Amino acid sequence: MSLKNILENWSAYRKGAEEGGHHQYEHQWGMAIDLDLCIGCNACSTACYAENNLAVVGPEKFAKNQGMYWMRIERYWDQMDEEFSEQGASFLPMLCQNCHAATCEPVCPVAATYHTPDGLNAQVYNRCIGSRYCSNNCPYRVRYFNFYSYYESSWPAPLHMQLNPDITVRDKGVMEKCTFCVQRIREAKDKAKMENRSVRDGDVVTACAQACPTQAIVFGDTMDPESRVAKLWRKHQVHRGPYTQRKPKTDPELRGYRIFEELNVDPSIMYLERVREEV
Amino acid sequence: MPFSHHRLKKAVRRGAVQGCSGRAVARLLFLLVLMSGWGPVMAELPVPEGIVVPEDEYEGKHVPQPIEFPHDVHTKVNQINCMYCHTYARRSKVAGIPPTSKCMGCHKIIATDKPRIQKLTEYWERGESPKWKKVHDVPDYVHFTHEKHLKRFVFDKDFPVEDVYQVCGVCHGNVMEMTVAEKQRSLTMGFCRRCHEANEGPGDCWACHK
Repeated sequence: MSLKNILENWSAYRKGAEEGGHHQYEHQWGMAIDLDLCIGCNACSTACYAENNLAVVGPEKFAKNQGMYWMRIERYWDQMDEEFSEQGASFLPMLCQNCHAATCEPVCPVAATYHTPDGLNAQVYNRCIGSRYCSNNCPYRVRYFNFYSYYESSWPAPLHMQLNPDITVRDKGVMEKCTFCVQRIREAKDKAKMENRSVRDGDVVTACAQACPTQAIVFGDTMDPESRVAKLWRKHQVHRGPYTQRKPKTDPELRGYRIFEELNVDPSIMYLERVREEV
Repeated sequence: MPFSHHRLKKAVRRGAVQGCSGRAVARLLFLLVLMSGWGPVMAELPVPEGIVVPEDEYEGKHVPQPIEFPHDVHTKVNQINCMYCHTYARRSKVAGIPPTSKCMGCHKIIATDKPRIQKLTEYWERGESPKWKKVHDVPDYVHFTHEKHLKRFVFDKDFPVEDVYQVCGVCHGNVMEMTVAEKQRSLTMGFCRRCHEANEGPGDCWACHK
């Protein structure tokens, strides 16, 4: 993807094939996260740290907002309890939404972040030069920058033995983000290819979905109409494509929404939450 | 490929290489002839049917191994298939090096009087395996699977399995003519891309980069 190509086909890169754009998808990996099931236990976050070689930066750097937490649990309070201020929070697991019209992609000067035929928002670490434009352009704030090299401090021997060999250990000056566990997707696709079949629903389970004790996270291919995630999207009348999808507010069964849909980024994650009247 | 020292000789005659005494030049030439493997000229590796072999020029360093394993004796003289020892190639990402037990399967009986085999037997009796050094390596950010490549070029196309060395040779060079393996292909991204373009492999960054 050269600069010339990006400039000439700017609008086409922001659209799917059905709207006359460039993207011909083989899969469209997506998620459904049920916030009514989420108990905020942070198991997904921990699993993500273990699976994706996330550096532990330490409290000082974390306070400077330099932490690496591809999967984070955001907390919101409807009303503050005066005696116990931590009580009554609602949780929202926030990770890269793998938008189909991602704002991070067109701003990368070296095309280190781009859209794959799998509908994933890819980050090629060895191509990244660390300009941090993508992070500044991300409305979800889910891109994390390696301000330092954490290999020595985060995994002192023998802890380096726990590193996942299927994913790079990122070094200083590289942007990183949730990949929807691309190493697991890759492995499932390789296995399917060896067995001469297509990837089946349930072949790929991301680390967060696997760890979730309440099974609030469902991962799968939204292009496969029989997958669990596609059925959930259909049930809650959320579909692909940019623009806000308005639903009748009177139907309490329709809980699905996508965060920042109004920005036309076409995110791949549907959240489920019942709108409560008392708020 | 034997290094053409005629060109250098000509250059010396023309005076292109100046500031060298005749003796130094002779010494240099001698060294070059040594390095180029003058003696036997290496046999060209046959091009496997159905693969466009990417152009590449590379001469890797000699990697000393704990035992100078003779690939040529095993594969050329004794006609052992690559996948007999590198059995994981068709089953996983890595080709793997065989466990010492596999070596000893034959070498308990065969060629026990040879010094290399005696060294191997010492390792075996100590319960250790020789610490083989990796010759063909790709960086950590590259995902490469042997099994998919073998499936694409050998098993899916009914390529004769006994000629699999030709397919292996696209990336590994003519191992049949080597003792310990030497890197004959650059295995750079350019090399991979040339092959992927010619043979219609995936062109997506994330197909190989992780």
